[in-house]
Amino acid sequence: MTPTRLHIFRVISISTICVLLLASLALSQDEATPTTNLSTEIDTVIIEVAAPTSLIATDHKYDNGERINLQWVPSIDDLPGISTVVGYRIYRQDDGGAAEAIADLPAKANHYRDENTELGHTYIYSVAALTDGAEFVSNPTESISPEREWIDFSKRYLFLIALIVGGAVIYFIEIARRGKKLFVRKIAGLEAVDDAVGRATEMGRPILFIPGIQDMDDVQTLAGLTILGRISKTIADYDTEIFMPVSRSLVMTAGREIIKSSYQTAGRPDKYSDDMVTYITDEQFGYVAAVDGIMVREKPATIFLLGAFFAESLILAETGNYIGAIQIAGTARPAQLPFFIAACDFTLIGEELFAASAYLSGEPKQLGSLKGQDVGKAIAMVILVIGALATTIGTAWNIASMNSLVDILKTIFSTS
Amino acid sequence: MEHFAIWIAAFLTLGIVSFLYKDNAWYKLCEAIFVGISAGYWFVVLFWDNLHGKFWMGKGEDPMLYVGAILGILMLMRLIPKIGWISRWPLAFIVGATAGFYLINYFSSDVMSQVGSTVMPFFSTGYGSGVNASLYDIIGNIVVAVGTFTGLVYFYFSKEHKGAFGATAKVGIFFLMVTFGASFGYTVMSRMSLLIGRVDFLFGDFLGMIVQ
Amino acid sequence: MKRQIPLFITFFVGTLLIFSVFIPPMETWGENFTLFFDIIAVFAFFLGAGNLVRVHVGKLKKRKADWGFSIVTLIGFGFMLFVGLLKIGNPGGIAADVTAPGSWFQEMFNYVINPLQSTMYALLAFFVASASYRAFRAKNREATILLIAAFVILLGRTPLGMLLTAWIPDSLSFFQIPNMAVWIMNSFNLAGQRAILIGISLGVVAMSLRLILGVERTYLGGDDNG
Repeated sequence: MTPTRLHIFRVISISTICVLLLASLALSQDEATPTTNLSTEIDTVIIEVAAPTSLIATDHKYDNGERINLQWVPSIDDLPGISTVVGYRIYRQDDGGAAEAIADLPAKANHYRDENTELGHTYIYSVAALTDGAEFVSNPTESISPEREWIDFSKRYLFLIALIVGGAVIYFIEIARRGKKLFVRKIAGLEAVDDAVGRATEMGRPILFIPGIQDMDDVQTLAGLTILGRISKTIADYDTEIFMPVSRSLVMTAGREIIKSSYQTAGRPDKYSDDMVTYITDEQFGYVAAVDGIMVREKPATIFLLGAFFAESLILAETGNYIGAIQIAGTARPAQLPFFIAACDFTLIGEELFAASAYLSGEPKQLGSLKGQDVGKAIAMVILVIGALATTIGTAWNIASMNSLVDILKTIFSTS
Repeated sequence: MEHFAIWIAAFLTLGIVSFLYKDNAWYKLCEAIFVGISAGYWFVVLFWDNLHGKFWMGKGEDPMLYVGAILGILMLMRLIPKIGWISRWPLAFIVGATAGFYLINYFSSDVMSQVGSTVMPFFSTGYGSGVNASLYDIIGNIVVAVGTFTGLVYFYFSKEHKGAFGATAKVGIFFLMVTFGASFGYTVMSRMSLLIGRVDFLFGDFLGMIVQ
Repeated sequence: MKRQIPLFITFFVGTLLIFSVFIPPMETWGENFTLFFDIIAVFAFFLGAGNLVRVHVGKLKKRKADWGFSIVTLIGFGFMLFVGLLKIGNPGGIAADVTAPGSWFQEMFNYVINPLQSTMYALLAFFVASASYRAFRAKNREATILLIAAFVILLGRTPLGMLLTAWIPDSLSFFQIPNMAVWIMNSFNLAGQRAILIGISLGVVAMSLRLILGVERTYLGGDDNG
């Protein structure tokens, strides 16, 4: 073998050994990482985008220390139309721990409110711009701890106005309690209550009281029940039969308590029976099916529909109309009021439902509260006139004083 | 099974509709089924969702839930006539909480925000948009302001509806009636579509007369 | 005492919830109340369900009119408790959601409650018709106004309204019924709704205060009851 040939042979053998070594190395790596991944890595083209910038974390004002607000400038590659940025991911380090993703947001997002922070903890945030398969993380924020505020000053005007109106209600109750006579105009629907009860007594037929289909956690149900308190006194005095089917168990309990005591007050406790108030079912239309049945079978002379009503309002009121009962209805749901107006003899519109029990009681202190309510309405009317005129004049002739007055009004009455 | 279920649904549908003619045994049967089954349905749903889900599963994390359970048990004291009066405590709790909770809620969402929205220039299509309204919008804006004002006058309790005040209140009633009429007219169409849905079931799913 | 404690509870809880709105550490108390309420309501449901059973068993025992239907109600009620509390036929077993598709409980809802519900709801179409008919014969001015507004809005929402006034030139497009309907909704309707809403919330404020201050106490069973 010539030296040249020997040299070539050595080169080939060393190369072969190297190739074999490399191949065996590559094979052992293959076992750890599946081949598909290799090919994906080769196929995927990672598009670089700029990370979001100017990320700032601030404590959310007027909370119990459970919120931190984040704000950032979106990636400059997050362009309108076709964008390579598909969204943003918020990362949070809690007390120096590892960064955890806490939320994913759509493209173009530039703020986020973390509502799950805890008092005493320290947080560091960062935001990543997401593309298909990669993330580009912003600089982290300074560490921040949420703070607790004891009074929500952002609601100061709400507090002030509520205090004025609430104060007026309490003031007039107090004035009336001291014996000052207060005038309250007649409310037609309520003037008719006694007659309606009297009619049932004369005809010897029962009175049906329907307190709506909501539970005790609805103010309309409470209003209906307070009216029941007044009506049931008259009913007990006249010794008329009353029947009250309900769709909520709690309302049943309260209804029984009210009627029972009216009978006790009237000196007829023996006439009271728990059967006067019966639970039917919580199901809206199941209740309606049963009450409709009761109406056509028992033929009550008078029907009261007072409380929260939904679509069933018209089914009930029309059936009542069909059997020729006198109907007095009331609800605070504007969508159902037209049906009551069309099908009932008297309708208490919204506010009148809440005023009814005070009106029916005839007690001065109760009537006093209605006066307080009127103070609220007077304020609303004054603001309406001043506000509408000032803003119209201010806008049309650009008068600074008018515009600043409007700004003040808008600030006071903004609830957001 | 599916076929049988459709027959049952059709039987119940027709039974309820028969009430329109007059009260009858078929309707009474449907009513009895409806009441029994639905009362059971809600009892079970509330049992699993509220008693099991909210109280039983949550009590470890939030021991305050025991207060709710205790109030609930006090409610059951009604069953023992001698101490039945204790059930007034949970009732008083609910009444107090409902009153307190809604007082501010209603005040903020309805009084404050509604009064705030009445501050609106007549010559604009929106607050802060400058003088840009057409005659059509201007009249609309004035109508909104006048309507709200007179509507409030109608609800005012402290003054008899007489003289100029009475006339203003009359205008208020006019606005309220148009409002009610509008919402009446608005609802009629959606109610008709409900009926069409049931007719569709009877003639389509049940009788197979409508080819889908 | 029997009266004073409930009055105090109402006052205390009511006041607390009013102020909780303005005090951030108490801001979740309103939600807690809803949770408490849900729990109390289930316990109360035992009373309601007990009443349902008692009434229908009573009818049955006394052989009152239609007692046969009481049997149906009792069987239906009992059956739902059986399949619901034991989660019979639930594909996920006792740990699964009670309303899981395929469970007997949910099938009962789909094939019995649902058609009954939607049919009862659909009856509204007939009642709307009869109410409209009565409003047509209305004798007073208020009802007439209500009816005219209803008619315009109704026409405005149907193709008929468009067809009827399509001949009106675009310069007078306001008088086309669909446009008038939109205008009424945005002006008259908005004004009325606003006045009603303001009134309602002031009414709620006054009533709530009467309850919290104990001026209104009928819900506790009147004034003279120990």
